[in-house]
Amino acid sequence: MKALLQFFASLRLTVVLLSLSMVLIFFGTLAQVETGIWKTQKDYFESALAVWAYPEAWIAYDKLYWLRIPMPGGYLLGGMLLVNLIAAHVTRFTLSAKKAGIFLIHIGLILLLISELLTDVLSEESQMPVDEGSSSNYSQEYRNNELVLIDRADPDFDTVHSIPIALLKPGKTVLVPDSPLTIRTISYYPNAQIGRAKEGSAPVDSPANQGVSVKMNVVVTPAAVTYAENEINTATAYVEVLGPEGSLGIWLVSNVIDDRFPPQMVTLGEQSWEIVLRLKRHYYPFAVELLDFSHEKYPGTEIPFNYSSEVMVRHNDTTKNQKALIYMNHPLRYEGLTFYQASFANDDRTSIFQVVRNPGWILPYVSVLLMGVGMLVQFGMHFFKFLKKRATT
Amino acid sequence: MTSRIHHCNLQRLPLILAGIAALCLSGCDQAQPVTYKIPKEQRADTMPTMAAVTTPEKSTPSKMNVLPGMQQAANEAGEVNFTTPEGWEKLTASGIRKANLKVTTDTGSAEITILTFPGDVGGRLANINRWRGQVGLEAATDEDLPAFTTSYDISAHRGLYVRLEGETQSILGALLPFHGSTWFVKMLGDTSTVLANESSMKQFLDSIQIEDHAH
Repeated sequence: MKALLQFFASLRLTVVLLSLSMVLIFFGTLAQVETGIWKTQKDYFESALAVWAYPEAWIAYDKLYWLRIPMPGGYLLGGMLLVNLIAAHVTRFTLSAKKAGIFLIHIGLILLLISELLTDVLSEESQMPVDEGSSSNYSQEYRNNELVLIDRADPDFDTVHSIPIALLKPGKTVLVPDSPLTIRTISYYPNAQIGRAKEGSAPVDSPANQGVSVKMNVVVTPAAVTYAENEINTATAYVEVLGPEGSLGIWLVSNVIDDRFPPQMVTLGEQSWEIVLRLKRHYYPFAVELLDFSHEKYPGTEIPFNYSSEVMVRHNDTTKNQKALIYMNHPLRYEGLTFYQASFANDDRTSIFQVVRNPGWILPYVSVLLMGVGMLVQFGMHFFKFLKKRATT
Repeated sequence: MTSRIHHCNLQRLPLILAGIAALCLSGCDQAQPVTYKIPKEQRADTMPTMAAVTTPEKSTPSKMNVLPGMQQAANEAGEVNFTTPEGWEKLTASGIRKANLKVTTDTGSAEITILTFPGDVGGRLANINRWRGQVGLEAATDEDLPAFTTSYDISAHRGLYVRLEGETQSILGALLPFHGSTWFVKMLGDTSTVLANESSMKQFLDSIQIEDHAH
């Protein structure tokens, strides 16, 4: 135990871990060119082990295609650094006035490592597009989908039964909560191309026997998953809906079969639900109304100089209503969420906000403050010692 | 620096490590189905425009057609030759179908098609389960496959013969991985007709010759 603790507390381990971090960042940067930032972050920094492969675009790929370099991923390195730092404190440091500065710096560093982990685990990011003059009470995740059954029978509200896409596994069944229905997944494609068979051609080979797929003779071709930043995967599935008495039919659902198509309805006796596969939505108890979007460019160019959105947030609890101006580096913090100006579309008539829920957002600020104070104390002590020395000589 | 291990602190270390491990594990729990209520929502038109979700040509369903990639792949795939078994009727192949045949008996009818797609189209099991769904059978697992599949050579390549006997509808088919694409030969129709034509189907599979540029 002692030897183990000494190993984890050693400064040598710190140096090795920091060097490996540099290696990871280097190869992560190379990989980002190939796979984009989102996938790189998942593969290299939010993993225990990363494997770099020789890029296809590089010279002599035909000779070096086999080249793979495994390396510890971000979670492993970050976790080890955290253990290293804590172990070093447990074994070596004793709190004394002389070392208060170093102690503060280290506590700040530990907090920073923990906050990074908290952010990865707890934070949620989604986007909210709003047209000028209208409002929105939900945001959607562009890399996550959900299968929903919407019951619109009540005149006062809609009931949404949401099933996360991860549960749509071919052959498996999922109970729809608070309803008599069960979903059985026939097949699921994370990305696909969807189109209509030529007019007059024979019915396509499809498991669906209900809805859009049958009416419009839709052809589904599975496609490779894309990680490009401005592309969205067309998640598509064939799902069978089962009632208490058995099958109600098989539907083709896809996040491109949206409001432009007639609703796909599942009917059981008197009840009916609209079945939709869509980008995962987060609904809020408030709506964001876009009053005005302005987009200034540098004179004579198309380069944006500033873009800003004037919004009115209308909460169910009207005392929480708030007007705000959101622009670059000036987000709106509201109800535990942060709204950033992310993009715009539709000839400057639609503003797109990045909506981030990160319960640990304050931690990095605290840790940087601690480290700053620690450094001030530490260097201040040295400085005053030096001044004293000079005064006495 | 010499190591001065404080025993009280040492005892706390496993606790700290356990805390960190618990924090890591808490991120792994799977999302669960949920039900929630939202204010009445209007469908269509009034919704905000979604940026960058679809390309303009995709946004109007009426303009959609067979996907460019699919038709192209079908066109690029080699031609296929075969001998039509006795009693089968050859129809014109259209669109992405490489061949289209029909057989009628006193008790029903069945359709025979040959299709090809690039890649493995989701994998062997997914395709077989798609077929199983079409004849009202439960999805199978890899372990179940030997019960209704056998390996079968088509056009000098190793393929898989699939026999799916459903209550009213049945399928006799073959999957053939062929130089990066997959060929599907399928007879789908009334169970009696399909089963009565099993020897003709095998005769048909044996006669298939796919144009092969890879050798």
